[in-house]
Amino acid sequence: MDGNIKISIDKLPIKRLDAIEENGSERFPSDVDYDENRLNLIRRIDFGWAVEREDPSKKQKSEGTTTSKDSKTTNQQPGQWQSLVENLQLARQELSVIIDLINTVEANDAVTVAGMTRPKQLPNEILSDLAVSTATKLQCFRHLGKYFKQSATALEQQVAREARFYGALIRLQHNWKVKRHRSVAAASGNKGFYIDLFYNTLNDTSASLRPSSMSTIPIEHDTAGMLAVNLPPNSCHSLRFEFLGSHFANNMRRIGETNTRALSEDSTETMKEHANDDECVRETHSLLREVHRAIFDEQVFELISYEACNSSLSVNLTGIQENYLSLSINQGASVSISLLPSSQDNKTDCGAGTNSSETETLPSELLDGSKFGEGKDNVKKLGFPNRISFEIYLQQLFNEYVFVKAKNKTTSSVRSQISGQQSKDNLNILDHFCMSLAHRIFSNKVLSELEYLVCKTPYVQLISHHTWHSRTSSWTLSMKVPQSILHAGSQIQSSGANNVKNVKSQFWTKVVVIDESISVQGEGNPNVVGLFNGKPEITCPINRYECDLADLPIILLQQVASQVIQWLHEEALSLGIKVNRDFLSLAFELDHGEIASLVAHVDPEDTIGCISWWLMIDDGLTEDLKLHPGLSIGESESRKFLGHLSLNVLYSTLLDFVNLCSC
Amino acid sequence: MNKGGVGLGSGAGVGSGAGPTAAAAAAAAQKQKTLLQRVDNDIGNLVDNFGFIVNVSRVNDPPVRNSQEAFMMEMRAARMVQAADSLLKLVSELKQTAIFSGFASLNDHVDQRTEEFNRLTEKTNSELARIGEEAVASLKELESHYYSSTLRTSIPPES
Repeated sequence: MDGNIKISIDKLPIKRLDAIEENGSERFPSDVDYDENRLNLIRRIDFGWAVEREDPSKKQKSEGTTTSKDSKTTNQQPGQWQSLVENLQLARQELSVIIDLINTVEANDAVTVAGMTRPKQLPNEILSDLAVSTATKLQCFRHLGKYFKQSATALEQQVAREARFYGALIRLQHNWKVKRHRSVAAASGNKGFYIDLFYNTLNDTSASLRPSSMSTIPIEHDTAGMLAVNLPPNSCHSLRFEFLGSHFANNMRRIGETNTRALSEDSTETMKEHANDDECVRETHSLLREVHRAIFDEQVFELISYEACNSSLSVNLTGIQENYLSLSINQGASVSISLLPSSQDNKTDCGAGTNSSETETLPSELLDGSKFGEGKDNVKKLGFPNRISFEIYLQQLFNEYVFVKAKNKTTSSVRSQISGQQSKDNLNILDHFCMSLAHRIFSNKVLSELEYLVCKTPYVQLISHHTWHSRTSSWTLSMKVPQSILHAGSQIQSSGANNVKNVKSQFWTKVVVIDESISVQGEGNPNVVGLFNGKPEITCPINRYECDLADLPIILLQQVASQVIQWLHEEALSLGIKVNRDFLSLAFELDHGEIASLVAHVDPEDTIGCISWWLMIDDGLTEDLKLHPGLSIGESESRKFLGHLSLNVLYSTLLDFVNLCSC
Repeated sequence: MNKGGVGLGSGAGVGSGAGPTAAAAAAAAQKQKTLLQRVDNDIGNLVDNFGFIVNVSRVNDPPVRNSQEAFMMEMRAARMVQAADSLLKLVSELKQTAIFSGFASLNDHVDQRTEEFNRLTEKTNSELARIGEEAVASLKELESHYYSSTLRTSIPPES
């Protein structure tokens, strides 16, 4: 190559218009075949340089003829430029055709606008657009404002709910153990709070108490957001103590049971505005207290069951079921201890119900031995004490046992009878309770006997002594002699020194019941040794002996009668009367050698009076009658029934003997 | 809770002592720092989002930008509410912490209640004892009145 750059311009690959006639028809060139097109493209390539290289001779020749070729090239260059010119001319023609076409189209308005620029807006249009945008933005802000207001309201409500909830929870925490289950909080939306009511102060007791199912109480939210404690119905049980076979209707529930709120289950009340928070917290406190008490009762029952099954010194287990025990104690009594479900639903909700507490009055349970004038049989049957008092006593024993043994772990306090009894008698709670109950029943029977005797013996008074011990009871039968005897005694004392004698003004007989044993202690019985020596008046010691219930009336009557005899004897001696004393008789020596005896007759079954008096004249024949008890004991010439005499009448009778007796 | 906060601060400030106490103080300080950071984040979110909402109150010429800003404002508002809710949860956590960590005040209150209940127990016991003594005295008086009454002092019929 020469190094000259040759530029060839291809024709545009468009269909070029050859000519356009006046009638508008267009003439296009014919299509070129593919081969011909390739040939045209090949021809465009100048292979001269390659040919000249291959053939140098031709080159020399060409050089020799360069001048001639030069002249020829100069003749060819115009040919190449000619093609360029032709192409340009063709292009010019095409452009002119196009311009003509545009002018024609523009002239005919047959054109579709492909695009156009936006015209410049007028000021009012600008302002209207701005107004629309402003209104839109204002609407957006208003929407935002409404959204913020709703959110603020919701958040305020949430704050108020949480404030109420946590405020109540903190107040509950002052009295109860509040804990939290994090896993439960994650699972449910309830925050997982619960109250732990279990107390493990009995770790060292032999009876391991299981935690109650109600030891953990979940705290929930009610519809108003306040905390609510919901318990399933009949989940709380209360301890109940009853006498089996008793004729008394024990239809009353414990007062404590009735203090649970009578909350209505009305759904409308749950949906109304929540009550005062203080009331809600107070109700929750009350409910928790009831549950706490129910747990305590369950533990009491469990401990009782354990002791009933393991040790039974004074109690026989006659029946056992779920939440039920029947025990047989002494004195023919059978009792049952059971756990009864609470009859009321224990759901509390601040939005529900009012704080109405139902209180029930105690029905008048018939006490024992308090009906004078009735038959002894009827009185003897009434031996059962107050059921509620022993129910409370059972719980008090357990409570004291828990705190005394679990917390102190030392010797009992002064008022802790059970611990004292434990150290002394090696008893457990149930034994002590049953023995206390048996003692109470027995002492009621003893009291009924004493009251009957006192009722039938006007000059005897019954004085009750309180021992402050659950298994010990004490009474005193007191007999006051008439006061005139004292004056007479003092006058005689001033007149004769030999007859100075301290005349007693009051005689007493003490009856002490410990568990189920009766001990009688009294004065007035003649000394046995003195009786044999003929000088019973020297010493009259205080006697003490034990007896059973069947013999108690007769023994007491004999004691009282002997005290009367002793008094009469002392009075007679102070009056200077020759008198001999026997156990229940006072013998006067009359002027004619006869012996008149004033004999006391005791009969507990006598409805008029238990102590009656007989006058017996002994002239040597009546003694045989005494030795033959099978003979009739009715009145006779030597025996006269004086009746149920008072002390004044007896003293008058004694004074009558003054004239008859030889001093 | 103030007592707990002071205790935490003093514990963190001391930095020395027994192992568990120091570890507990360090944990409490870390938790306090975390809570403060959460508070700062939430407050920052609130301020930033509110500032952005105020800044986009300008009305722009292209309506497309206004629509875009409207969507963004809604998003910012939602973020603000979310931050407020987060703050509320933080307050709940603080209250729970106060419930379970306020040992000083709890112990004081428990002691106070214990003392109150002990007094109530003693009062009840003394009341019961007084009632018992009054009952005994009343019974004695009633017995003496009864046995000195004409009903009892009347002479029974003699045979």
